[in-house]
Amino acid sequence: MKNKWTLWALAAVLVMGFATAEKVHIMWSGAITGPTSDAGKYYAQGIEDYCSWVNDTGYVSGIEFVCETRDDQYNNANTLRNFEEAVDRGDPVFLGYSTGGTLQLKPLVQEVGLPFIPASYHIGNIDPPDNDYIFLPIASYSEQVIAVLEYIAKVSPGAKVALAIHPSPFGRAPVKDAKKAAGELGIEIVEVQEMAKGLDYTATLKRFEKKGVQYIVYQNVAGPVANMIKDAGRLGLKIKHAGAHYAGGPDLLRLAGDAAEGFLWVTAYYMPHEQGAGAKFVKDLGAKYGRPADAIESVHYPSGMLAAAIAIEAIKEAKNAGKKINAENVYQALLKMNWQNKLAVGPVTYSKKDHVGVDKLRVLEARGGTFVPVTEPFSSALFRKVHYGE
Amino acid sequence: MRNPWTRTGNYKTSYAQDTTIFATYSEQASLAVFLIGMLVLPRFLVRGDMQILDLILIYALAVLGLNIITGYAGLINIGHAAFMGVGAYTAALVAPHLPFWAVLPVSGLVAAAAGAVVGIPALRIKHLYLAIATLAFQLIFEWAVGHSPALEQGGAMAMPRGMVFFGYKIAFKNHHYFWYYVSFTVLVLMAFGFRNLLRTRFGRSLVAVRDNDRAADAMGMDPGKTKVFAFALGAFYAGVAGALYAYWSRAVVIEDYSLMISIKFLAMAIVGGLGTLVGSFLGPAFLELLDINMETFSYAIKEIYNPPGVDVGSAIRPLAFGLAIVLFLIFEPRGLANWWRLLRSYFRNWPFKY
Amino acid sequence: MSYFFQLLVSGIVVGSVYALAALGFVLIYKASRVINFAHGHFIAIGAFTAYALSTSLGLSVWIAAVLALAFTAIVGYFTERIFLKPLVGQPIISVIMVTIGLASVFGGLIHMTPYGSGNFSLPGFLPEGGVNFAGISVSYPQLLAVVFTGVFLAAFGWFFQRSTVGIAMRAVADDQMASMSLGVSVEKVFALAWAAAGITAAAAGLIVGAISGLNLEGLVGIGLKVFPVVILGGLDSIPGAVVGGIIIGILENMAAGYLDAYIPGGGTGDVFPFLVLLLVLWFKPHGLFGTEEIERV
Repeated sequence: MKNKWTLWALAAVLVMGFATAEKVHIMWSGAITGPTSDAGKYYAQGIEDYCSWVNDTGYVSGIEFVCETRDDQYNNANTLRNFEEAVDRGDPVFLGYSTGGTLQLKPLVQEVGLPFIPASYHIGNIDPPDNDYIFLPIASYSEQVIAVLEYIAKVSPGAKVALAIHPSPFGRAPVKDAKKAAGELGIEIVEVQEMAKGLDYTATLKRFEKKGVQYIVYQNVAGPVANMIKDAGRLGLKIKHAGAHYAGGPDLLRLAGDAAEGFLWVTAYYMPHEQGAGAKFVKDLGAKYGRPADAIESVHYPSGMLAAAIAIEAIKEAKNAGKKINAENVYQALLKMNWQNKLAVGPVTYSKKDHVGVDKLRVLEARGGTFVPVTEPFSSALFRKVHYGE
Repeated sequence: MRNPWTRTGNYKTSYAQDTTIFATYSEQASLAVFLIGMLVLPRFLVRGDMQILDLILIYALAVLGLNIITGYAGLINIGHAAFMGVGAYTAALVAPHLPFWAVLPVSGLVAAAAGAVVGIPALRIKHLYLAIATLAFQLIFEWAVGHSPALEQGGAMAMPRGMVFFGYKIAFKNHHYFWYYVSFTVLVLMAFGFRNLLRTRFGRSLVAVRDNDRAADAMGMDPGKTKVFAFALGAFYAGVAGALYAYWSRAVVIEDYSLMISIKFLAMAIVGGLGTLVGSFLGPAFLELLDINMETFSYAIKEIYNPPGVDVGSAIRPLAFGLAIVLFLIFEPRGLANWWRLLRSYFRNWPFKY
Repeated sequence: MSYFFQLLVSGIVVGSVYALAALGFVLIYKASRVINFAHGHFIAIGAFTAYALSTSLGLSVWIAAVLALAFTAIVGYFTERIFLKPLVGQPIISVIMVTIGLASVFGGLIHMTPYGSGNFSLPGFLPEGGVNFAGISVSYPQLLAVVFTGVFLAAFGWFFQRSTVGIAMRAVADDQMASMSLGVSVEKVFALAWAAAGITAAAAGLIVGAISGLNLEGLVGIGLKVFPVVILGGLDSIPGAVVGGIIIGILENMAAGYLDAYIPGGGTGDVFPFLVLLLVLWFKPHGLFGTEEIERV
């Protein structure tokens, strides 16, 4: 009689043991405090919420995701430590953040073969050497800037353009390709200017005006861009403004107010006010996990989600194929990925040669306090020509 | 009769005895135990721990240099990370052509040259004004790197990979172990240099100039030259540390040598105890381990208390860093080195009370 | 020519923000010989307090601003009482480091509020656009900066020349021992200087917030800009802070206006003031208006 109870207990323990899902760790290391934390904070929240949603809905059966968002304070030594911890733990994928941190980790990522999805869309991340394991969620800064130049060339042929960039590798990333593309498009890049962290951009703007600049294209973060377009508005300049992913977005509208009207912005994400499954999904998730409106409206929130989603999707593929969840199998799943997702304007596709997830971009224009798409999703043909010589 | 094991009094009968650093057998034994302990330590640590240990050693080397400039010579230096950066960028440029043991001194020398140039204003200015001149150097350094295509404009310059050292191939698994031994050897050598510095003519004039440069001048020392040389020597240490950091982190990126890091070095020197050898190890160890523990702690906080829109956990880390500096300055201005001294003096006389 | 004048005017305007920020810095140094590396954080505290009060309590920006000035003054006062007082008589490096430590503490505390990261803009309390005159344009927040700087300068001028406390502060700055023996409470003077510095820092924070929005990194960055200003003007000179601020503002704009075009990438506005700083240090180690210290063995 006693034995029987023991057996039952044993069976119960066994059943519970099997029912407990496999735990898979996904780590993100980025700046929640320190420089660029205005973006990093929401990016981290996007990752956390997507992860919670996946666990709550049982999106990947049999796997419980443990998503850790680590604050590296924009300090590469911390990023390195977090990354190595992930390697040692045997994580199947790693979510990165800054341009500097990603570029620094490239040789190591190659050596250990752990798939790496950064928040920095620097083309140097996926250019050789050591580029096998790094995957961009959306098109690179270079492609974004060229896409906006293509749009400019279409609406005002022969335009004179100035590039205003962040004083860092992040800002300088698209300059070379943009110059080449401008030659092809018949527009002129008059000047490339690194933006100081100043209170006043009158000097720069006046000089642009003297040189007959019609468009300023920004590769920067929203704060300085907002100040520059406000100054341009005050000076009564006729110059139009445009920018890549991190330059625009709802943050810019909040900071620059009416001065942002007419700003051309290129990104691969949906806006919260849009009708459509993607925008609704982001809003619902933010509401479900109690995020403030600022977070939900920020473009960094869905950006973080997409990064987490790509990682989770690859793990799901590997799981469905009945493979062990490890770096190599997730890498193989990433290489074959063709995921029709609702977070971005195009499918996430990767291959051995293509390490850009969402190849499509949209140009949006600030109208009446929101960004309205002015193009259908498209991918820049010229970018491939100027960058890869295809 | 002199007891060779403990210090029971001053029985020195020759000049040679007076100049020994480790006077008693127990002191020599404890040094030997410490060195052997450090050499076998990696056997008991996992790779992740080694990474942190390496970082502490490399930072300790840089802080030694800062202690020459700020601790010995009293010249406040808010640009020490830039010296380290000069060393790291030199390493990135010469590493493809030279073996690593040659890269280290070359990087040190180039940084020393930069240090001497920064030290030149010290001929005329002092105290706070000099501190701000070093701050200017830090910012100009960052700007200059950002505008140099040869240095990838601050982006990553990868260090050579797949190094083979006497048939021993260095890869991910043993990377940190290898660089631990290299850093440790370099650190021990340079720490002996640091320890002996104060016994040289130059070292003593450093302290004299710190305490009163006019008086030192009157006694025939050249305060200007001494200060410039202090900067050069301190920058040499930082340069070597920069080269080690470059190898350790596998690539040189400008953010690793920013103003934030300069401030961290000053904090490490202060918390460790300004101008002390042992403080140069304890300071970096304390602050790095504090940060890592606070990080772990911050995740625990996040589990319990995580209001929307605020990241209380992440805020703990800068808070702890700042509080460590402030509390040490208020309650223990002589730093951890003083605790070490008290501990040592207790054991030195043991089993006697005094 | 209008290009030159626009640069000049913008330089003066930006310079007055720097001057306002530098004013508090100089006050602290003048009274207590402390270099305050946490000054940028005072600026941030003032700005975010005003923002928090006006957005969450729905106060008018002007009332919120006054409360923010008062709050930052209190923070300054207690900072001195709690953290600086124990360090009186310690070497310069300790005093510098304690303010660096405080900067980190304040940074951590600000991160405990919702304002630590992200961009915010003060509710519009000034009309959009600006004043245009003969092709030269100045925005309203910038105009306000000039007015604020003028008002604070006049107020401090009066305070130091006429009021008893102000004269006591000058006396302390001159000779602590002598003023103590005359019955001046040196402790009180130190704390008051910090409180006054808090007020000017908060005012600078409000202006920066109005001009370029609120962002912790940006506001703290203004604290860094203060260094070339005070070195140029002299660490212990209030008129020096204003003149230094305006000169640095002009230099920055001229560098951006004329040099940037010739340097690939540009961005000289950020670094040029520091180059000037090095030159000034070389030729006039005590700045334009600073007191030269006479040293004796």
